[in-house]
Amino acid sequence: MRLDTAEETAGRRTPLQLERKVDRKRLQQNIPYFLMFIPVIAYFAIFKYAPMGGLVIAFKDYNFADGVFGSPWVGFGQFETLFSNPQTLQIIRNTFVLSVLSLLIGFPFPIILAILLNEARRMWFKRWVQTFVYLPHFLSWVIVSGMVITIFATEGVINDLLAPWLGEPIAFLYEQGSWLTIFIGSGIWKGAGWGAIIYLAALSSIDPSLYESASIDGANKFRQIAHITLPGIAPTIVIVFILSVGNVMEVGFDQVYTLQNSAVFSMSEVISTYTYKIGLQRLQFSLTAAMGFFESIIGLILVLMTNAVARRFGQGLW
Amino acid sequence: MKATFGEKVFYGVNYAILALIGLSCILPMIHILALSLSDAQAVVSGRVVFWPVNVTIESYRNLIVGTDVVNAFKNNVILTVVGTALSMACTIIAAYPLSRRDMYGRRFFTLAIVFTMLFSGGIIPHYLVIKSLGLLNSYGAIWLPGLVSVFNMLVLKTYFESMPLEMEEAARIDGCNEWRLLLRIVLPLSLPVLAALTLFYAVGFWNQFMNVLLFMNDPSKYNLTVMVQQMIRSQSMLQELANLQPEDIMNMTPETIKSAGVIVMLVPMLVIYPFLQKYFVKGVMIGAIKG
Repeated sequence: MRLDTAEETAGRRTPLQLERKVDRKRLQQNIPYFLMFIPVIAYFAIFKYAPMGGLVIAFKDYNFADGVFGSPWVGFGQFETLFSNPQTLQIIRNTFVLSVLSLLIGFPFPIILAILLNEARRMWFKRWVQTFVYLPHFLSWVIVSGMVITIFATEGVINDLLAPWLGEPIAFLYEQGSWLTIFIGSGIWKGAGWGAIIYLAALSSIDPSLYESASIDGANKFRQIAHITLPGIAPTIVIVFILSVGNVMEVGFDQVYTLQNSAVFSMSEVISTYTYKIGLQRLQFSLTAAMGFFESIIGLILVLMTNAVARRFGQGLW
Repeated sequence: MKATFGEKVFYGVNYAILALIGLSCILPMIHILALSLSDAQAVVSGRVVFWPVNVTIESYRNLIVGTDVVNAFKNNVILTVVGTALSMACTIIAAYPLSRRDMYGRRFFTLAIVFTMLFSGGIIPHYLVIKSLGLLNSYGAIWLPGLVSVFNMLVLKTYFESMPLEMEEAARIDGCNEWRLLLRIVLPLSLPVLAALTLFYAVGFWNQFMNVLLFMNDPSKYNLTVMVQQMIRSQSMLQELANLQPEDIMNMTPETIKSAGVIVMLVPMLVIYPFLQKYFVKGVMIGAIKG
């Protein structure tokens, strides 16, 4: 709060009058803030909070004629349908499997990359590598998948190169194991470089004299990394981990939708792609809204839980 | 200090790994570029790796003549420019009041906004809101819901908060009102971070895919991303290139024209990328300082 120091020191007013004056001033200063802020409030109310209210249709049997509020209540009926149908159960499981695997396998890569880059002494080399590894982040999933599909297709370059050894081409994109590998690998390819930036920022704040003294004490590079570098970036690792756990339930629509094909539907159909196909194209609004609700709730619980654990170790987000 | 033998080995291996990682990021793009510039026969027989064989720009010509790529490109530019401008304006008017220490309810509003990062209604309720506002099949359905990215807003708010209060006091004493303060003092001093956020929004709008797919049902309003995706998807793409002469189709393979589509999307990104790199790194660093 701003105080009118000149008048305060002059002491011509009683404290109460002064307080009123200050408050009125604060109020006056607040008017432009709120004028500015009204569109922002409206935006969050309409596009963020109204959809949360719209979630009531997960507990209704939504139809267009009656609208969100007029449609009949069915309680947990939609959820019962959801959890008794093997197909939807599989989709929920796929969502979990794809995102948890992407998180667990993909998480260490940015850290490793940042440490490697941090150990590069030649600046020109470091800069070039950085320029290259950040680049994939800026490409849309459509481009990345387009490249992946072209490269791994049965008549693609990988099969052309492997042909002398294998004889016949491998359908990388149509077999579950290789599809999963390509899915997770493409996620790492696209995101690892960008993810490394935040660790590089954390690494730059580690005191270089720590390395000097460790090296005088005879610690080799690996011990220096294990005992100085990693503890130095541990808080950042925890924060990034909490944030990524929060996103665990939403494997990106773009990535799955652009990479999936009919041969691997049984493992690649996830909540968001199913919602698009069944919810919006076949108008099963209530059922897919219930699915989305479940997804959001699990996501929220996961963030709260991870944060609670992290706070135990003194590194929570809040 | 002289490097020991072990350190030399370590650095050698490190450089080798980094070089491999760097190449793995750039080589797929070079391969696609080579495919798009090669002649169909060479592509089919698998002779194209990183260097185009029998260079031709036929696939680009076919892309322009046979598809809606020019219109889609135009749509992409409109989506990106208008969307980025709107988003920047709204991010500023969200971040500025929240960065003022004397704003009433500042903590409440910040929490309410951050909460939207953790929990959302999901696609279906979002769709219903867009529908009830009559935004279906208009770009408003893409610009408006994406107006403020909470992450970007927090980055900007943190930056505004780090500015010295004294400067602001001085401006006030000189008779600056709140709007002038924002426009003449605070914003000009925030140019680097504003540049970074502009880039983030621009990339986001340039790459829009899901929203266009959900809300646009008129193909003439598709952007490049959706158009290229549908091209990559379709098995029988050659038949769809209705405007082409049969002899043109003889000299084509889906691979070359799909690659050309990918390159058309990729090139604008590659052109601006080197100029903006220093800004976006700075932007992420500011975000990294405080969550």
